[in-house]
Amino acid sequence: MSTNARNLALAAAGALALLTLPYWAKDLYWLHLATLIGAYWILIAGLNLVTGYAGQLSIGHVGLLAVGAYGFAILAGTHGLDPFLSLLLCGALGGIAGLLLGLPSLRLPGFYFAMATMAFALIVTELSLALGGLTGGGTGLSVPGFPSPMNSPWGYYWLVLAVAAGVTWLTWNVARFMWGRALIAIRDSEVAAASAGIGLFRLKLTVFVFSGITAGIGGGLFASLQSYITPDTFVFEIGLFFFVCIIIGGRGTILGPFIGTVILTALPEIVAPLAKLGAFFYGLMLLIVVLLIPEGVGRLVEVLIRRFRGEPHRSHEVKPDLPRLASVLARKEDAA
Amino acid sequence: MSALEAVSVTKRFGGLVALSDVSLDLRPGEVHGLIGPNGSGKTTLLNMLSGYYRPDGGRTSLDGEELDALSVQRRARLGIARTFQKPRLLPALSVLDNAMLGCWRDTRAGFVETAFALPRARREEKAFRDRAIELVHGVGLGHALTRSAGLLEHAEQRFLEIARALAARPRFLLLDEPAGGLTGAEIEHLGRIVGTVRESGIGVLLVEHHTDFVFRICGRVTTLDRGRLIKHGTPDEVRRDPEVVRVYLGA
Ligand SMILES: Nc1ncnc2c1ncn2[C@@H]1O[C@H](COP(=O)(O)OP(=O)(O)OP(=O)(O)O)[C@@H](O)[C@H]1O
Ligand SMILES: [Mg+2]
Repeated sequence: MSTNARNLALAAAGALALLTLPYWAKDLYWLHLATLIGAYWILIAGLNLVTGYAGQLSIGHVGLLAVGAYGFAILAGTHGLDPFLSLLLCGALGGIAGLLLGLPSLRLPGFYFAMATMAFALIVTELSLALGGLTGGGTGLSVPGFPSPMNSPWGYYWLVLAVAAGVTWLTWNVARFMWGRALIAIRDSEVAAASAGIGLFRLKLTVFVFSGITAGIGGGLFASLQSYITPDTFVFEIGLFFFVCIIIGGRGTILGPFIGTVILTALPEIVAPLAKLGAFFYGLMLLIVVLLIPEGVGRLVEVLIRRFRGEPHRSHEVKPDLPRLASVLARKEDAA
Repeated sequence: MSALEAVSVTKRFGGLVALSDVSLDLRPGEVHGLIGPNGSGKTTLLNMLSGYYRPDGGRTSLDGEELDALSVQRRARLGIARTFQKPRLLPALSVLDNAMLGCWRDTRAGFVETAFALPRARREEKAFRDRAIELVHGVGLGHALTRSAGLLEHAEQRFLEIARALAARPRFLLLDEPAGGLTGAEIEHLGRIVGTVRESGIGVLLVEHHTDFVFRICGRVTTLDRGRLIKHGTPDEVRRDPEVVRVYLGA
């Protein structure tokens, strides 16, 4: 079977498993966990374009998650707006917050950019405490659910799954077309990217705003799942957690960070002692992966195959095909 | 007159004068050699033409229009492509993907069109893939099309950089020591590729230390020494120039 056919079969099996999860999940707790992973993934999928592809290390996306979550609680809860409309507005809010954060910070060198995102997350937490009239301060806010049939655990799971699938599809398209190459060029060589005509800041800002939108939507769905949010829901460690999911999953893939998200969310829940370790567990995972499989767990199979088979011996002889070169250079306008 | 020009450019790095009052014009359909000892300012001049540095004196222009205010990206879009003295590829991507990166200049599909896989994004992807495949085979890397660029040998990296630059359909191609580290046979291949590029109407600036190679394939040669232009002319004129012999070619 060709790799393509095999990948397609695997993807179909995976999709079927996710779709039917409510039927085979052991109990409601599992369903809750799967929904939580879905809400996180909506954010992480967007963040993946920023961090895994464009190489911009944001550790403060929890701030954008909080913007979406409070936005949803206030719009759908306090103001009684339609939850779906509220969710869309959360996306817009997240996008605007992303724009406001990205504009001044994305020109900074990597370390300072990371610090700016961290500061943003801390400011959002402080604001959610300070603006008690809006956010309920330290007491927090209760968050409404969605109308039937999305008010049942499985109905809600399917809603989150549908949004997550949509966001994944969008990022997959970005990754496989010219934008994906351009983002990786920004990550691996800004000099080469510029020489190809790639506007570094414009592309970084675009994907950052997109990640703000997905964070806003993910935040809204996350809040509704939790049904009650306080400033403590959005501790800074969650921002690190998102970041670590991508790094241990592997940069420049979509499947890797997804696996990372599943592992890092589910493992502490399944293996109870790990939960007590908290952030230590994330740190440990990060260390293990960075030291043992720097390509990320998403590439584990690939890496193992290469290690056991070794690199096949291949030709390195350069043999130009001048007629072919001349003919492609003579093409006038094949730009689509 | 259509040309890429540096007119009396000067460039200082702190106290060091890397270029002093140097002029050079690159015309379509010519191979123009740029030679000189290490540190004489060749790469600096190339960086100035491609927009990485602004001149401290003088100016750069394309078809008579001043370029100095334009970014590297704008110049790339105007048709100035280059390679690097130390190849700068994307090791995580395949050879084909690296070559396709050059097609960014022609990419019109924006983020939203791309994210929703709208027809223009798909159409461009197909056209660019096709163009890049032809170029990769053209420069002699057909055997490595799907190989990760991180696994390429030195010569392959140099040729891939040329394919990537050509994918941008440039009017002018600036090559910084493309023969550096190549074997004799590979330099022959490079010479034929440069010849084919020139015949297509592209103007090639060739920064090189392999002077035999330069004198053989260039129509004109400019020689720098410590940031000054010491001789400009046909290969024969430059080869016989006493000062060029003294500072660079040796007896
Ligand atoms: N960014 C920079 N900052 C400071 N000095 C620089 C910089 N770039 C180049 N120089 C100096 O300018 C001078 C010219 O350098 P350049 O790289 O242009 O030489 P070159 O002719 O390309 O040499 P080579 O043949 O070794 O590549 C050198 O003395 C170099 O050290
Ligand atoms: Mg140089």
